[in-house]
Formats: sequence, structure tokens, C-alpha cells
Amino acid sequence: MNIDLSEMSQLAPIFRELFKGFHISRRDPELYAQLSNLQDQYRGLFRALGFDLVCDTRGFFYFVPEQAAAQVNKTAQRLSLFTFILVEHLADQGRDPMAVLDGGSIGRDELPSLLEKYRDLFLQAEVQTPEELEEKIMRRMTQLGFAGEENGVYRFLPPMHRFLDVCLSVQQDRNLAASLHSDLPLPTPVLVDDDDIVVIEDNDESEEEALARAIAEEQEIDA
Amino acid sequence: MIEPKRVLRALAEHWALLEPLCAHFDQGTLSLSELRQQVAAQQLDSTPQDITAVLDVWIRLDILVPVAKSPNRFELNAQIHDFLAYLRREHRLGLCLEIEAYLRHLERLAGHIQDAFDIRDGNDLARQLRLLDMRIRDVLKKLDNDEQALVAVAERAKTSDRQIPLRQRYAEVLATWDEYVEPMIQLVNADGAFEQGVRKVENVLLRMLTEQQRLGHIVDDDMLLRTHARILEMQTRAQLTLRHARELLLPLREEARRHNAVTRGAALALSAIRRKGLDAVPQAAMPMFTRPQSTFLGSASQVEAYVYALARFEAKPAQFPKAHKTRQGDAPKAPRTVKEMLDRCEDALPLPDLMTWLLEQEPDGATDELLYWFSRLSRDKRFARERLERREYHTLEHRVSLRSFALLSSAAAAKAAPLEPSASTAHEY
Repeated sequence: MNIDLSEMSQLAPIFRELFKGFHISRRDPELYAQLSNLQDQYRGLFRALGFDLVCDTRGFFYFVPEQAAAQVNKTAQRLSLFTFILVEHLADQGRDPMAVLDGGSIGRDELPSLLEKYRDLFLQAEVQTPEELEEKIMRRMTQLGFAGEENGVYRFLPPMHRFLDVCLSVQQDRNLAASLHSDLPLPTPVLVDDDDIVVIEDNDESEEEALARAIAEEQEIDA
Repeated sequence: MIEPKRVLRALAEHWALLEPLCAHFDQGTLSLSELRQQVAAQQLDSTPQDITAVLDVWIRLDILVPVAKSPNRFELNAQIHDFLAYLRREHRLGLCLEIEAYLRHLERLAGHIQDAFDIRDGNDLARQLRLLDMRIRDVLKKLDNDEQALVAVAERAKTSDRQIPLRQRYAEVLATWDEYVEPMIQLVNADGAFEQGVRKVENVLLRMLTEQQRLGHIVDDDMLLRTHARILEMQTRAQLTLRHARELLLPLREEARRHNAVTRGAALALSAIRRKGLDAVPQAAMPMFTRPQSTFLGSASQVEAYVYALARFEAKPAQFPKAHKTRQGDAPKAPRTVKEMLDRCEDALPLPDLMTWLLEQEPDGATDELLYWFSRLSRDKRFARERLERREYHTLEHRVSLRSFALLSSAAAAKAAPLEPSASTAHEY
């Protein structure tokens, strides 16, 4: 394939956004238009660089991490949880969850009551206050291109389909449904947090000793 | 017997009043007072007497009929209602069973036609053929009406309030699918009743054409050919209606089903999370995305340069140390362990000044490392500490101002006076 870099006038901003984990949708008309028009060239260039560009026909683009390095992180869990909660909350209110999550919006003023209603669930995602809900979930959603915020209103964008797909795959997961009706523990997936993991061996060694030993080991390796 | 002309004249004359009433009669019946209100709303300058006169005309001409067992409530005469619906292009979806009943009748008529031909009864044959032709027209009319009604069902679903739940919004679509489209698919199937009926009638007509060639004409060939053409038209029309219905309603039905699946999936996931924690949702289902790099800074040209550099990346050969070469200079010292330092400190007790002792022990030690040992040793339970005055100490690279400690063994301290419980340090770099 011939890649003409002069055609790819939006290469730098497109790469910068995708590299950040951002999902490009029609909300960024220039970037979206160029990605749509030069889809093959962009995909080819990024693939050569080790980035897998996904072009979702529902109107958005994103980088998917390589399978080997891919780990579901805390953010993905938090955002999925928020989607589940919102779907249930809207359905309970007699509103159409699809209409809201597929291009609709919710007001910032709705968040405190949502947090109150689902406090036990949000607690599992380490979200306890409206500020934390804004910071850890809503801000992340806007940073990643799942939603846009304007005048206290969050408008959901097409990339939300990724989370709606999670709902669908959960619905089709017979194992999950079956496990809910049994007392057997679920096969818990190994999830890696955003934060770096420090492995602390559970022995008599104190923290300081462990630290000193770790420094010693590192220096030995360097030597 | 009501004269048709009078009915038609009344309909034409009162069309402006009747048309808005049709929508109300589509929903149900109206009481006399409701009727008066509706008419008065359309004809603002009319007196109560005028309204009575208009209603009287409609009742006398059987345009309005009283509801059975509720003489004060009225509805449109069913025939008039259908006629007005046709004029207003308002189509009500019929039943698939009606089409099936028509088809059974067509099959019976084909049998009668065959019988009439067998006994060479020309008049009866012509009459049966006309009946068949009219019945086919009925089916065509019904298919056309149903198709219009299906379009209306889809339009209503698409244009109704987006805020109401999809289940409610698409209730009519789902019901229409189950009650009309699904049975129609069965009916129009290759081995369904529709195809069988059409085939049976077609065979009778084609055999008759051949037989007429052989035995002589009882009816005009053109009549048979016209009926045959019409029955083929009916077959095509049914297939087109069905295809149109599927195109219109299938996406809406799928949307409603998807919506149900999403809601159910979310409820299932929440239920699992409530019982088994956040990790209960299988990892395979979760979306994966590149970790947000919020600290990523770079101008457009830097990013571009980065991309180009990546594109032209060439791995450099790794330089491994050679086995026969000896290391130049001293081997780096392994850092002290806490245990080692505690032992050394304990051996040196009593310490008049911990920081001075540390500087003597580790003259080349980095400032942060010395401060770490200062903090660690001064807090250890096996030592009793006594705070000293603030003074400056010089490490290899920095000047540190802090209040050091004199250390004693805890046992020795027990005999002495109570010691300072805490200390404060301040650093100047």
C-alpha cells in the first residue's frame, strides 16, 4: 500500500488523541472525516507502528491494545459499572436507556441521586462522593471520548456502544447467569489496576528490609 | 333503504366536520354531549339548534349509529367508517387469517369452476370465474391496505416520544410482527397455504385452457388468461407486501430486542457485582482501551517526529559485557540491610549523636539514604532517644539542618529520666 503522508494532514492530532486512549467520533469532525476518508492508509501506517486502529461502523475510531499486553484496568471496570447502573436507573425511571446512551444526555444534577441510590455498588469502584464520581468516572468518560460535557450536561457519544456491547455479551453469557443461581464462586479474572503493582511477599520480612533487599538486588543486576 | 346519493351528499357537505371526528371514532365511541362539543369546536358560529340538526341528519342517514346497549353513545357506521378511512388513507391492519380465509375460498371456487367445466355449464363457469376474479381483487385490496397500515405502524413507532421506554414505544411493532408478519411468513412460504392455494387455482385454469383447445370453447380464453394473470399478480403482491413489512419492521423489532437485551444484561451484571464484586463481570466481556496518557505532552511537530522516528526505527546491536574482561575499579557496595544497620547501631550504643555516627559510618552515602537511616534507626523500639539541639551536618552533596538524637539502649533508658517522645527535622538543600 502506498501511504501519502502529505494527504494525512491530521496525522499528528489523530495520533496524539488515539495514543491517549481517546475515541474519535463525529464530535471531532475534522479528525473523524479524515480517518473515514483515509481509513486504509491510517490503519496501514498505525499497524506498521504497532498500533491496531479499530474502525467501528457505528461511527468511531480507537486504538486497541495488543492482546498480549491487554489488561482490563480499573477504569474499564468503573466505566462498565457506571453504564450498567445508568441503564438500570433509566429503565427504572421509565426512560429509554438506549435513547440516553446512544446520543442522549444526562444532567450533572442527576449524579448525586444516582450515587445515593447505588452507593453500595459505587463503593466497590472506590467512588463515594459526587466529586469522586465526577473525577473518576465522568471526567474519564470525557477524556476517553465516550461523552462530552457542556454547561453541566453530559452528552453520550457513539463510542458508548462499546459498553452497551458489554451489556449484550453479559446477557449472552450463560455461565454468568448460571453462576448467579449457584453458590459456587465465579472464575475471577485477573485484573490489573492502573497503578503500578508492588508485589509484597507475605513473610516475616519488614517493609524496610524488603526495600533494602530490593535495592540490593537491583544494584546487583545493574552491576 | 337510504338513498346513496343523500349519504354521499351529506358526507361531502359535512366533510369538514366529519374528518376530525374520524380520529375520535378510531379511538372509540362518543356520547351525545361529547359529539356536540366536537361539532361545536369545529363550527364556532353554530347555535345548539344547528348542531342538533346536523347530528339528526347523520343519525337518519345511518352515518352515525347508536352503540349496542348504550343508546346515548354513538359510533360511525362500520361501512362508512371503512369508506372514510379509505378516503383519509388511514389503514387498519387486518388479520393474516382473513387472507387465509380468502385463499380457502379461492380453492373452493377453483373446485366449482372445475365442476362447471366438467358438466359443460357455460353460465355457471362464467359466474364462478367472475367470483374468483372479484375474490382475488379483495385479496389485492387487502394486501394494499395492510401494506399502508404497516407503514403507519413503523412511522408511529419511529416518531413517538423518544423519552418513553422502547418497550412501550415499539409495543405495536412487536405485536404486529407476532400477529401479522410472522403468520404471513408462514402463509407465503414455499409450502405455505398461499402457494398451495395459488398453485391449485392456477392448475385448474391452465388445464381448462388446454381442454378448451381440445373440446371446444365454453368461455372466452381471454377471460381465463385475465384471471390467471390476476392470480399471479396476487402472488407477487403478497410476496412484495411481506418483503416490505420485513424491511420496515425487522430493524425496529431488532432495536427493541437489542434494547431488552441491553437492559437485561445490565441487570444481570449488577446482580453479579452485588453478589461477587466488581471482578464478577468476565474479563472477556470488558472493553479494552489504551491507558489514558494524561501526562503526554508534545507539540504537533514533536508528535510527527515521533511517529516518523518510530517508522524508521532500527534496533541497535546489544553490547553485552565480555566474560574474560575484569571489571575496572571497585565493585559497587551492596546497600546495607535494616538488620545489619540495627546491629551496628546497637553495638555502638550509647550514641551521643545519631547523625554524626551515620556520617562516620557512611561518609559516601547519599543524603536521602542517610536521612532514611536516620529516620529508621531513631524510631526503632530497641533504642531510647533524646533530642538534641538543631545543628548543621554536611553530607557528601548537601548541607542538612536537623535536630538529631542521642541514642541509648531501651534497657538503659528505663533507668534514666523519661525521654523526648518525638523529634522534628528540617532539611536545607
